[in-house]
Amino acid sequence: MGGAAIVVRGLRKRFGAQEAVAGIDLDVAAGSCAGLVGPNGAGKTTSLSMMTGLLRPDGGQVLINGLDVWADPRAAKAVIGVVPAGARLFERLSGAELLEYAGRLRGLPAAQARSRAGQLLGLLDLTADAGRLVADYSSGMRRKAALGCALIHNPPVLFLDEPLEGVDPVSADVIRRLLARLAASGSTVLFSSHVMELVEQVCDHVSIIDKGAIVASGPIRQVRRGKTLQQAFMDLVDVRASAEDGLSWLGSSSNLSCAR
Amino acid sequence: MAWLIVELKLRSLRNAVRSSRRARIAFILSTTLAAVVAAAVFGSLAALRGRPGAVDEATAVFTMFAFGWLVLPIFAFGLDATLDPALLAPYPLRPRPLAAGMLAASAAGAWPLANVLGLLGVTVGLAHGVPGLLIAPAAVLLQVLFCITLARFATTGLARLLRSRRGKDLAAFLLLPVFALYQVITQVVPRMAFEGKLRPVAFAGLDRWLHWLPPGLAAHAVQYASVGRTGTALGCLLLLAAVTVLLGWIWTGILRRALVTVDTTTQSSVVRQGGLPFARFGLRGAVAARFWIYQRREPSSLIYWGIVGVVMVASSASSLLTPSYRGALLSSAGIGAALLAIFHSNSAGMTGPAFVYEAMAMTSRRALRCYFSGQNLALSVIAVPLLTVICFGLAAAAGHPEAGFLAVAVDFAGIGASMALSNVFTVRLPYPTEKREGSPVRGASEGHAGRALGATFGSLLGTAVAVSPVAAAEALTSADPAAVRIPVLLVCAACYGVALAWAGVRIAARVAEPKLPELCQVALHSMA
Repeated sequence: MGGAAIVVRGLRKRFGAQEAVAGIDLDVAAGSCAGLVGPNGAGKTTSLSMMTGLLRPDGGQVLINGLDVWADPRAAKAVIGVVPAGARLFERLSGAELLEYAGRLRGLPAAQARSRAGQLLGLLDLTADAGRLVADYSSGMRRKAALGCALIHNPPVLFLDEPLEGVDPVSADVIRRLLARLAASGSTVLFSSHVMELVEQVCDHVSIIDKGAIVASGPIRQVRRGKTLQQAFMDLVDVRASAEDGLSWLGSSSNLSCAR
Repeated sequence: MAWLIVELKLRSLRNAVRSSRRARIAFILSTTLAAVVAAAVFGSLAALRGRPGAVDEATAVFTMFAFGWLVLPIFAFGLDATLDPALLAPYPLRPRPLAAGMLAASAAGAWPLANVLGLLGVTVGLAHGVPGLLIAPAAVLLQVLFCITLARFATTGLARLLRSRRGKDLAAFLLLPVFALYQVITQVVPRMAFEGKLRPVAFAGLDRWLHWLPPGLAAHAVQYASVGRTGTALGCLLLLAAVTVLLGWIWTGILRRALVTVDTTTQSSVVRQGGLPFARFGLRGAVAARFWIYQRREPSSLIYWGIVGVVMVASSASSLLTPSYRGALLSSAGIGAALLAIFHSNSAGMTGPAFVYEAMAMTSRRALRCYFSGQNLALSVIAVPLLTVICFGLAAAAGHPEAGFLAVAVDFAGIGASMALSNVFTVRLPYPTEKREGSPVRGASEGHAGRALGATFGSLLGTAVAVSPVAAAEALTSADPAAVRIPVLLVCAACYGVALAWAGVRIAARVAEPKLPELCQVALHSMA
């Protein structure tokens, strides 16, 4: 690992009265795989959007490999790959056409884009579906195709927003292995996720965000403090206990008592 | 059971109305329109009294309503929860009570009521004497029952297809004939009627075919009863009732199968694999390739091209055979170009979240120029030949094929202007879009109708202003020999159009460069 590939300082964003991101600081070392975890509405997607030049921040600075995303977006965008939340793609292209298009958008010669598209489709277990329209892909296939689009120009820094959202276990395993492979090869990966198991398996660093602020950040072992990441997360974020009063009727045993 | 399903429909309707201001306005407009249609149909049927071809015209109206019942629920498939048997399949329901409930749900609402009230116009226009007055309401009720059963038969039979992506695509294409029919009814028929070209005798031939269809049986039953042939009238009604019962029986069978049949929404199509076209043209070629593919594969794109053609034809059809054909041709060409600008004036919003992938590659003003010019090239490849063919087709229909050249000159300028305007509005007035259930095309998201309206009127006005020098040049040179005038006009108009498009690309790229994050947010807020 080298110096920091991603440096975030005082990043903040407000939507009306709501402060979505309240001045976060973050450092992700080059060649590391970092997870950004937090409950719904914590500010994960807003933060990642600002880090990747998709949402203009109210304040703060984002450096990718030393390039300021908001002062020099042209140079910064060239070194990153992004899988946005939801991963809505060009539905009327086939999987192969989609990846080739992504490569050509990134300036690759057509032949190279086509060749890389084929290789990535193989890696992502999508070769058999390469000729199908993306509109007919399942959630998992879409996620994998989106990942292929983000990787086609071999970016040194990769941002993924909820890469396993709505993904079946088989596709999740393919994505998990690919992320581990990228991290091992020296690429820098920052992704947001609800899946603590994925973060524990793949990441060496984790940042926990809640109500727009980073409440813990560092190597996984340091953040866990001897607990599972799930337990540490639940301790750090403000979790309300669910109301279970009045649910005595729920469950099979109550059906039996009713029957009697 | 029947009341439960009617309640489901009424509750869905009530909740939809409560959900947003737009839904409330749509409901009020729809109900008002239903009342207007009911009054207009009642009035026009009542006005048939004493006219020689009254039964023929009434048959045409009855048939048109049946056609509406057949087609419109296919559009509303996603809107009405009671139309899709798959939504009710998880519950332990018996098909017959379910069928009764679904029929009752179809009959609930402003439009079915408007249908009954409107068609009751035959009690005034067609019915004579006591037998006629007794048969007429029965015929109308049976006709509406037939229509409802027909609609249910069609939607249940097509339900599996309509849930799939391909089925939705196919349903989208139904919009074109419906739109064409609407244009004929609202533009062509009134003008032809005004000019005396549309007389009751025109329906005579049509009635020979429609007489024996169920709507024709209903209309003719009233006529037979009115002229004393009560037995024949009752026979017609019995035949109509038998057809309705048979249709209902088949429909219940389809419904029974639909409740226990697997979904087919995962069926998909495979496209020919050969890589994207325009491989040698870099970023511009890549963008052009994507837009080119979308023009062929995206149903809304095909619908837009179809609408351009239909409106161009409909707007000039009634004037083509008059001395003012030249003006009609030129205005038709201008309208076609303006529609092109309107349909593409919000490229980022229409692309949706996938635009982010394109935006990530737009790292310079030059790249943005490639993006806009690539898009324009793909659209021009379709627009130029399509509009040229339509212009010459209309000119030929007018009996003055040479006038097609003048209309094409206007189109050359208009297409250039429409490209420029669509590029500039894409970056100046971007707005998120959404695809509502039942609609095959995307519309402005709630709260953004003002921007959409601005872009629409801006495109219309801008195209009109941009093509006016060409129209003026055509008028000023009308005395010059055609052999000289036409080539000069065509070349000058084409150069002028290219110059406008070129300027539009440069302006749009300059405006877009600092606004890309905002354009991305517009795209990301566009919903499926």
